[in-house]
Amino acid sequence: MHATSEIKGAPRLVWVWDLPTRLFHWLLVGAVLVALVTELIAPASWLNWHVAAGYTIAALLLFRLVWALFGSEYSRVASFFYRPRQVIDYLRQLLELRPPHYIGHNPAGAAMIFALFAVLTLLVATGFIVQGGQEKQGAFAGLAGFALGNNVRGIHNFLAYLLMAMIAAHIAGVVADGRLHKSSLVRAMITGWKRVPAPLPLRAPRPPQIQAAVLALAALFALSVGALMLLSRMPPLGVPAMTPDQVWAKECGACHYAFHPSLLPRASWAALMADLSDHFGEDASLPPAAAAEVAAFLQTYAAEDWDTKAANLLSNVSPTDPLRITAAPFWVRRHRRLDPAIFAASPVKAKSNCIACHRDADSGRFEPQAIDLPTFAAAGVSP
Amino acid sequence: MRNLSAILALALVAVAGVATAGVASPARDAVLAAFAAAAKQADPAFTGFSAERGHAFWTAAHTGGKPDTPSCTSCHTPDPTAEGQTRAGKQIAPMAVSRTPDRFTDAAKVEKWFGRNCSTVLGRDCTPVEKGDVITYLAGK
Repeated sequence: MHATSEIKGAPRLVWVWDLPTRLFHWLLVGAVLVALVTELIAPASWLNWHVAAGYTIAALLLFRLVWALFGSEYSRVASFFYRPRQVIDYLRQLLELRPPHYIGHNPAGAAMIFALFAVLTLLVATGFIVQGGQEKQGAFAGLAGFALGNNVRGIHNFLAYLLMAMIAAHIAGVVADGRLHKSSLVRAMITGWKRVPAPLPLRAPRPPQIQAAVLALAALFALSVGALMLLSRMPPLGVPAMTPDQVWAKECGACHYAFHPSLLPRASWAALMADLSDHFGEDASLPPAAAAEVAAFLQTYAAEDWDTKAANLLSNVSPTDPLRITAAPFWVRRHRRLDPAIFAASPVKAKSNCIACHRDADSGRFEPQAIDLPTFAAAGVSP
Repeated sequence: MRNLSAILALALVAVAGVATAGVASPARDAVLAAFAAAAKQADPAFTGFSAERGHAFWTAAHTGGKPDTPSCTSCHTPDPTAEGQTRAGKQIAPMAVSRTPDRFTDAAKVEKWFGRNCSTVLGRDCTPVEKGDVITYLAGK
């Protein structure tokens, strides 16, 4: 390949990175930044931005796949396909501070590209499964159960940290190359021109096959979008069709928003309905017929029958206070960083007033996007 | 024309009267009459409900009930024309009949809520006199 350890003669500028590859690189940087920031820093209600970043990354990866076959010389995978031996040799020479020159990707950079491509592909795939399984949203809501989504979330998180480490290594490599070769890879990735030593042998660079690339990309996009749309039409897994009971809606909804039946397991609902005369310190007595109807409705649609996030996480009730949703270990853990003043203030008033912040609480979905903390409290509160 | 003007004027006065008082309701009268009959039965000396007594009962701090809710005003606020809020955070429409005209027109609903709230606030049932007084007070608000 185009490598030499000897640097002789005046350096010259070589056209290396075509515009699509440069655009790909910087758009990927932007999308990955958005994905990281929206997960690590932004409130949970920004989930749509995280998902949009994921879709963008997926589209960019598809493009890069096509461009690796049909792009111009140094964008083609054939131009940076090295044997492991070459990568090790290059890294050894790098450690000896005399890495050879390459016009396109050097062996270590090429290895990083393959690794990044694999990790990003896995991140997109696991992201789909987490979104489908945990949130019952997106293309995989009909395929992924909550337990799968919850487990895959661990992999997704691990991959994200791995990605951050790889980005750090990638930047370190760019900085090292800049120091050792007195050239700027960043500038090359912006302008497309790279400064290389004169004697470096140049192959006649192959031009891009734009027509083939457009056709292949269109076919891949059509296939992916079609597959996603078909998958999206599957009904979400473990979300039964529920006709709200009128008595439940009216009577339970008289003093508090009507808690969705999926928020407590059968045993808790049974115990709760057995003594309405002391209902969390209030007399909430109902005529026997109404009480029986509500109790039957709650039993029919209790947490056991749902695979939603809330049903899965809240059905593990507090051992000492099994009727109180806000005493469930998950509830306590998830809300522990919120300022207690949020719950006390007038629009909320009680921890049990879920719908004051979770705009979709009455549906039992509790989507991150539907979280809307009262503005007085939003400052200084982490999600 | 003079006749028409007179009729219009009368109609306006009537509409204004209903709008400001907002109390006339045969259903509510029936609810009150039932409480009056019960009060008379319990105490033959009963002469009628009093908005003043109702007001005092509404704002009083009672004992015997749950400590978090010693008074009607704990949830309904001292101003009956204002919205209240339950301990669970749900808004309660104003109790004043001028603000919520269908208050105390459904006997079963009246019984249900006095039953629950007297138990929570006072730890006992309210007497027919207490119920009638409170309704009379809120009907005039």
